[in-house]
Amino acid sequence: MVPSRGRRLTANAVLVALVLLVPLIFRTKPSIIGYLNIAMLYALATQGLNLLMGFGGLVSLGHAAFMAIGGYTAAVLVMTYHVNMFLAVVAGVAGAGLFGLVIGFPSLRLSGFYLAVATMALGSSVADVIKRLTITGGDYGLSNIPSLRLGPWKLVSDASRYYFFVIILALVFLAVRNFLNSRSGRAVRAVHDSEMTAAAMGVNVAAYKLITFIFAACIAGLSGALYAFTISYLHPTNFGLTFSIGLLSMSIIGGLGTIIGPILGAVFWVMLPLIIGGKLTYLATVIFGLSIIGSVMFLPKGLSDLVTRIQTRLKL
Amino acid sequence: MNIFANLVLRGLATGAVYALVGMGIVVILQTTNVMNFAQGDTGMFVTYLAFFMITTAKVPYSLVLVLAIVAGAVIGLIVERFMMRSVRSRSHLSLIMLTLGLSLVFQGLAAFLFNTVPLLFPPLVTGDPVRLGPVILSRQDIVVLLAAIVVFGALYLFLYRTKQGVAARSISQDEYAARVLGIPTPSIYMLIWAIGSALAGLAALLIVPRFSLEPSFMGLIQVKAFSAIVLGGMDSVFGAAVGGLIIGVVENLVAYQFPAIKDSFMLIVVVIVLLVMPQGLFGKRQQRRF
Repeated sequence: MVPSRGRRLTANAVLVALVLLVPLIFRTKPSIIGYLNIAMLYALATQGLNLLMGFGGLVSLGHAAFMAIGGYTAAVLVMTYHVNMFLAVVAGVAGAGLFGLVIGFPSLRLSGFYLAVATMALGSSVADVIKRLTITGGDYGLSNIPSLRLGPWKLVSDASRYYFFVIILALVFLAVRNFLNSRSGRAVRAVHDSEMTAAAMGVNVAAYKLITFIFAACIAGLSGALYAFTISYLHPTNFGLTFSIGLLSMSIIGGLGTIIGPILGAVFWVMLPLIIGGKLTYLATVIFGLSIIGSVMFLPKGLSDLVTRIQTRLKL
Repeated sequence: MNIFANLVLRGLATGAVYALVGMGIVVILQTTNVMNFAQGDTGMFVTYLAFFMITTAKVPYSLVLVLAIVAGAVIGLIVERFMMRSVRSRSHLSLIMLTLGLSLVFQGLAAFLFNTVPLLFPPLVTGDPVRLGPVILSRQDIVVLLAAIVVFGALYLFLYRTKQGVAARSISQDEYAARVLGIPTPSIYMLIWAIGSALAGLAALLIVPRFSLEPSFMGLIQVKAFSAIVLGGMDSVFGAAVGGLIIGVVENLVAYQFPAIKDSFMLIVVVIVLLVMPQGLFGKRQQRRF
């Protein structure tokens, strides 16, 4: 049966309504909204990684470093130099993008395992450098970061942040989707499929690899900056190799190369330990590992495969 | 001069740790073309098993050493047979993700079964540090250094003097041609995974007394081991061994002069090595990899 436009519209409307109603549904349990906010920030960073790996075919084992740079830049600018918060976030994004350019250069010469090791090395050293600097609070971390504010409004409650992040997430995801459907996006995907063919068709392979890296880094930087003002605390070890692998896991479990994958992966990643809870939390790590293995072996599109199946089942 | 000799020798002892882990990774990498990000955590998990064999079951240390090697080999066989075999032709990205997933499984299992409280692992040999001329080394350091030499020698003999070793090297050159010539590639792959993972277990067991046993203790060591491989050229066991020693020594010297940049220094060097000479110190020169 041909998917009908009407049914799809209804389904999307229901989905949007559900997303908007979540804070009301969980009004008695504000902590769930808080965790969802974290999941959305992770989803943001994961979308960058997804762009890089799922669509660009480039590996990054140092993606948390972009978040760290975005977060620390924004937080230090606000706390030490009293810069306007909006400008600080912009600066954080720009800083991460600049570093994306730096990490992007190795990707021009390296691929596969070599790029994995290079990004792993650079990512780990960023966390190490942050730990040694004094302006970033060093090993004590950076605490009491002011809370998020939007112009005159302070976004203190979890629900208000929730709506703010939903908007940001929707905007970024739309931007990524439109980018991928644009001329540049097609070039990026062509480079992924076959570098040589793309080059023969006149695609500037080097430029598009760098663009992908910078774009992915900027998104992660935005996520990091928002994370800093949400959690109010930054510590370098939170952005080490472990978290980079965490982001990678989210993008794989959610489904590499799909637009909604990062959300599914991040929500799964944040919510599973809570659902399992208590002493069994470590079992979540085992389940994550098994999910990754299962995704790679049986479900290349991860959780979003399941969504696609539900869609076909409901004839949307 | 005394200080310098001390720094170099202790650096060699640290480097032997990286070399041991690195050689295991290279053995698997050069034949099966899988970069095993689970190498460190395989070793970590085996070490936990060994710890409880020693403390709870009171098994003698020498037997535990053998059992640990066997346990590592069994893990390697299982991983090859039930995971890697069906995905061999996938992209590098998928293979990296698989081994990362595996390492998460090991970390989670270890934390779940054995808790994350750091444990002190008893050293293989106890006793006063040994004086070698002006240098003082702990006995465990000497064991690790000797072990690295023995493992290197054994791997060299295996790869160059046995039929299976030659077969493994031929697969690394051209898998298809090797199959055409009648080499049973599946069993060689299993053998290589068993050897590589057994090495992971042995290495982790030998080096854990220098650190403390916790689910994440192999993390940084594995990063250094990867650096060693890159420095040595990714496709040579000799390169991994020498790369590991170089990293250990340089790291120790840098740590003495500039303690703040100890960990980052080598990582940056690795990136520069990758960019300037991707074939490393001892790797085969190739026009373009992958």
